Amino acid sequence: MVGYNLKLGWQSLRRTPVLSSLAIAAIALGIGVATTCVTIHYLLAGDPLPGKSDRLFYVRLDSWDPERPFDSDFPERPPNQLTYRDALAAVVESDIPARKAAMFRARLYLHPEGAQPFSADTRVTTRDFFALFAVPFRFGDAWSAEAEARGEAQVVLSAEINRKLFGEANSVGRTIKIDQQIFTVAGVLAPWRPALKFYDIHNGSERSPEEIYIPFALARPLGIVNAGNTSSWGQGWQTVDGKYDSEAVWLQGWVELESDSQKQAYQSFLDQYTDGQRAAGRFQRKNNNQLQPMRAWHQQEEAVPPSAKSLMVIALAFLGICAVNLIGLLLGKFLARAPEVGVRRALGASRAAVFVQHLVECELTAVGGGLAGILLSWGVLGVINRALEGDVHYRLDLPMIGTGFGLTLVAGLVAGLYPAWRICSVPPATHLKLQ
Amino acid sequence: MIRLEHLSKIYRAALVETLALRDLDLTVAAGEFVAVMGPSGSGKTSFLNVVGLLDGFDQGRYLLDGQDVSRLSDRDSSRLRNEKIGFIFQSFNLIPDLDVFDNVDVPLRYRGWGAKERREAILGALESVGLGARTKHYPAQLSGGQQQRVAIARALAGRPKLLLADEPTGNLDTAMAREILEMLETINEQGTTIVMVTHDPELARRASRQIHLLDGRLLDVAADHPRPLFAPTGDAAMTTFVS
Repeated sequence: MVGYNLKLGWQSLRRTPVLSSLAIAAIALGIGVATTCVTIHYLLAGDPLPGKSDRLFYVRLDSWDPERPFDSDFPERPPNQLTYRDALAAVVESDIPARKAAMFRARLYLHPEGAQPFSADTRVTTRDFFALFAVPFRFGDAWSAEAEARGEAQVVLSAEINRKLFGEANSVGRTIKIDQQIFTVAGVLAPWRPALKFYDIHNGSERSPEEIYIPFALARPLGIVNAGNTSSWGQGWQTVDGKYDSEAVWLQGWVELESDSQKQAYQSFLDQYTDGQRAAGRFQRKNNNQLQPMRAWHQQEEAVPPSAKSLMVIALAFLGICAVNLIGLLLGKFLARAPEVGVRRALGASRAAVFVQHLVECELTAVGGGLAGILLSWGVLGVINRALEGDVHYRLDLPMIGTGFGLTLVAGLVAGLYPAWRICSVPPATHLKLQ
Repeated sequence: MIRLEHLSKIYRAALVETLALRDLDLTVAAGEFVAVMGPSGSGKTSFLNVVGLLDGFDQGRYLLDGQDVSRLSDRDSSRLRNEKIGFIFQSFNLIPDLDVFDNVDVPLRYRGWGAKERREAILGALESVGLGARTKHYPAQLSGGQQQRVAIARALAGRPKLLLADEPTGNLDTAMAREILEMLETINEQGTTIVMVTHDPELARRASRQIHLLDGRLLDVAADHPRPLFAPTGDAAMTTFVS
């Protein structure tokens, strides 16, 4: 009977082209908007590194004011960033993690040959950053461990900035002046634009990844400071040296821990480190060193902009309104067909059979609208991506197409249940004489 | 085939109750051809709806082919209607968007037969009404008589035991009406019980029995034989006229 009901549904759609088009357009609009917003939310809230994120931990040490917690609403939470000293000693200099990265965001000036200098978004970090976060390379690689140890001035360029400076050419080995220092290009990234800047959610989680990446070892020698949030409870952090030496927190620390034992070992290391610091007069609060799994960290800090969630809820409500509006259209269409339904009932169709027949027609209408809506969503996301002027950012993948299809079926059900119930409840004898 | 015992049907509106059928007692044997007559509003359609399981009733008992149908669920009564009853309507009631083949196919779809079995039944039924070559025509492309023949094929395709006809020739000219009636007689001769509602006394006389309804009551049950149009009066002139 499914095939038969589909055939009847298709015939009905063709019989009333204007009404069918209106119904399909209503669903298409609802699905288009809903799928777009759900996709944006999904990409922002989804796992940025599937299969790996559960091994990545954000390092938090409670170096804060002994008199009051970092966050008075959540006194159990340590500061959300690290001091330079702790990032260096507890992250960079530890041999326990499989990979580790201390980092901060800065803005430095690039001086291209024969062109005006311009400022570029910069990530100052350790070489493990790229492997830790599975950053794709187009040419070359991260600077080597030896280069990092020697404090060599090497740089990794984003695909975008490489295009700007060197066209599409492989620029590995070429040099570029950054601020007052000549850097050699060690690698060029492939286009990389995660929906959420998951490795630094406190300094613009919606921003694109940085344009250039330089070694952490050069940060202090070159006097580079961050362009982002700094929190401090002590004094003297306003100068460059003060920032490096004070209790100001402005760096992020990430580690990759491959097993529970490795995690326990690193946790012990952190506790011993802060015990040592306490003996030297720092860390006057009780030990509260946390290794926060990446996704838990994002969740706690509400990394996904609340507006994305609100937008998704509004879009789903809009889809609901589209579906509810469709109820009237379908009801009118079905009730006009009551005499035919009377004949079918006389010929042996049960109430349930009539109900299913009309529900299938509703779902067929919804599927037509859903397919159009998914195409609409694809187009809208393309427009959003172009407006963001980045590489492809939001895109429909299979799970999202599946979600769009699922929403379509639900919308068809919402729109169709009442009209289908009404038409199947019509007493068959009432309309037989009118046919 | 049909047994009604003290059957009553009441239509209830907000303030008014209408007794459409009153205390009907009737037995129709298998293979009978019964004509139901009566003026407009006498309850003929209500009678047909109740007998055809299209409508319920309020009091009494109804046995269809030996089965008590008084308390059947919608699913069971639909199945029984599909398997045991064929309908022929005055206005044919073909579905305009379906071609002849698909119209005849409708009851068989609800029967759950396979494609091959349905096809054989449809083509057989259409052949039997002389429309085997019109399977791809739509109702609008057929004459009234042809449409009624399609309706008969649709009613017969599922091989029902009972055929309910509601003014089957009401929308047809005399020649076509005769043709349809002959077709019904043939069907009856092959063993199908027929209950036909009609206003037309000539048609009713072709039935093996007539029953008359007035204000929902069964007035009388006529003889089991076709009756002459006029009873002999002894008047010679009248006798000559009639003969």
